[in-house]
Amino acid sequence: MLTLVAKILKVLNSQASPWQIGWAIALGLFVGILPFGLLTLLIVLVVCLLTINLSTFIVVWGLTEGLMLLFAAPLERLTWQYAQNDSLLQLLANTETLQLLHLHHTLTLGAFLLGAILLLPIAWLSKTLVMQYRTRVMNSVQQWKIMQMLKASKLFDLYEKLN
Amino acid sequence: MIRKSGWLVFIVFVGALLALVYLLAGPAIRVGMVYSLEKAVGAEVNIDKVSLQLAPLAVRINNLQITDAAKPSHNSVSFGHASAALEVWPALLGYYVINELTVDDLHYGAERASQGDVYRQPAANGEKVDLAQLLQVDLPDADELIARANLQTPAKAEALKQLALNEQQQLKQLQQQLPGKDALAQYQSEIKALTDSKITNATDLAAKAQQLQQLKDKLTAEKASLEQITQQLSQSKTALSQAVAELKAASKADYAKVQQLANLSDGGLAGISQILLGELWGERISQLQSLYLLAKPYLPDSLPQGGTNSPAEPEVVLPNRILPLPTQPYPDFWIKTARINWQLGGGEATIALKDITAQHQLINRATQFSLDVKQLPQLAAFSLNGDFAILEQMVTNLNWQLDGLNLQPMTLGHGDTAMDLVAGLLSSSGKLSLTDNQIAQQANVVLKAANFNSSANKYLQQLAGLLNQQQQIPFSIAATGLVSAPDVSIRSSLDKLLGDALLGEAKQKVAAYQAELQSKLNSQLQSGLAGQQDWAALLTQQDSQVSDISASIDTMLDAKLADVKDQAKDKLKDRLLKKLDTKKSDENNDSN
Repeated sequence: MLTLVAKILKVLNSQASPWQIGWAIALGLFVGILPFGLLTLLIVLVVCLLTINLSTFIVVWGLTEGLMLLFAAPLERLTWQYAQNDSLLQLLANTETLQLLHLHHTLTLGAFLLGAILLLPIAWLSKTLVMQYRTRVMNSVQQWKIMQMLKASKLFDLYEKLN
Repeated sequence: MIRKSGWLVFIVFVGALLALVYLLAGPAIRVGMVYSLEKAVGAEVNIDKVSLQLAPLAVRINNLQITDAAKPSHNSVSFGHASAALEVWPALLGYYVINELTVDDLHYGAERASQGDVYRQPAANGEKVDLAQLLQVDLPDADELIARANLQTPAKAEALKQLALNEQQQLKQLQQQLPGKDALAQYQSEIKALTDSKITNATDLAAKAQQLQQLKDKLTAEKASLEQITQQLSQSKTALSQAVAELKAASKADYAKVQQLANLSDGGLAGISQILLGELWGERISQLQSLYLLAKPYLPDSLPQGGTNSPAEPEVVLPNRILPLPTQPYPDFWIKTARINWQLGGGEATIALKDITAQHQLINRATQFSLDVKQLPQLAAFSLNGDFAILEQMVTNLNWQLDGLNLQPMTLGHGDTAMDLVAGLLSSSGKLSLTDNQIAQQANVVLKAANFNSSANKYLQQLAGLLNQQQQIPFSIAATGLVSAPDVSIRSSLDKLLGDALLGEAKQKVAAYQAELQSKLNSQLQSGLAGQQDWAALLTQQDSQVSDISASIDTMLDAKLADVKDQAKDKLKDRLLKKLDTKKSDENNDSN
């Protein structure tokens, strides 16, 4: 847990571009809500090839996987209800690539659509929040007593090491 | 923007992932299987090891034991090894196509090394087909046989009794409505008084004429009610005679039925074996309904499901793992071949299955299965084969051949009608076809070298003696119609023999019952009908009396009215004559 908080603080306070962090959060969320498959590997490849912040991506992926334990069943029901569309089903039946990506699986299709819809807004929102944090909050946070205490603790050592 | 070491990171990531999967997939599958199976059966499940093989992609399970929740010291099912080889390309597309599934050393009900935990007590399961229970026959006693013969006489007798009671009540009410002898005498005396009296003047004439008219009206009303009563009586008589005729016919038919039952002939009434075993076989067959119910969710919606005409209710459709594509390359699951090696009762059975799936239209083949059992201590041989397909309809075909099933000693029936089967060998062959919920089944069952012990009942002693003399006891069993309520026909060439022996007591009881019924009915009928005849005679008599009275009244009235007129004429004549005489004497006096 301490490592996790240290990682987040490190990234937020680092020189990493807000966009790199924003995309890491958005793609981490995307890959987290998807059941593991070829699509997951494709997204991981994109993250690896582009200079997207890896630490943030992995942390958000892990957190979202946990959340999906709660939200997978409602998402599956919702997709089943709205995916009964002849042309969509015909497209999925005729395109083997889509089947290879498991998009004919109820939960995968629902998660893919949700992730794709949320991708840009989450990336932009995350970038904006990181920028806001850095301009308005970061300096005052450094002054908090709790931060001083943290600095004096094991966490600070860890933080220093990571730096 | 491009990470130079991106590919390297990705390759490391995928490599680490594969290593992780290879190392952890087995334990993960094992934990998942134990959790799901324990949840399903409600008892401890043990799996020694699950290993994953990459080329070819296969899962191997070692030593699986599922505790029997009803008997925790034993397993319900256990096997030594099982392996399933998965096809890679369909698996990448998300379809489970298993090339070969093998299960070795399968045991059913084997003892466990240590008692298993039970998490949920099993509910009483009435769906299990138990061979011992199948062969457990309750021999009916005479009363039960009479009941099963569905005699009509008691019902008709009861109906007649009720009808006779109703009619008697009606007759009593009618009796109260009839004019009594006193009333009739009163009418007569009043008429006589009127007719005998002298009419003094015109006013008197009018008054008496009116009185006569009133009496006549009353008599006419009495006559009308009498006619109505006569009509009602006639109707009662018809109804009673019809009921009597029906009762006599029913009694005759029942007698014929019982006779036929006792003297069975081919093509006649259902044989004694039908009466003994028909219901039981029907119940067993109807257990196949569970097979239909199991497959029902997979049947196309356009098919009539269950044959019910109830209005379609909106069904809650649960999400499926795969969307319902119009065409799909593979079934959701498809086991191409499966071989199960089953250890049972000191012998071995081999079950071979091909093309197991619920989407037969995608592979255009039916699921085929066969079972071969040989040289068990209690069974010489058993083979079963058939196919099963869910296409436009669910079709199951099954053939079996069973030889030399050594029957355990058992008691058929209970109490006075108990008969012990000490030993016997059962053989059977047959075929069964199940199309949706419609069944067509034909089977031959032969009981060889049967040794029966009789009870104290002399008819069963006779029956046991007769059966022991037979080298073989054959039955031919057919079932058709709805699987939940099949129409079962069971015939045996020994039907007459069995009938004579078993129905001996029943025949006597039926005869006694009929005699008793007949005498009771006769007495009831006689009293009812006798009363009715008396009443009819009385009414006829009264009717004629009333007619006579009415006729005499009419005559008397006519006669009296005529006399009054003559009297008036005479009086007028006298007066005129008197006046003429007076006038003549006056004229004579004047001329003098």
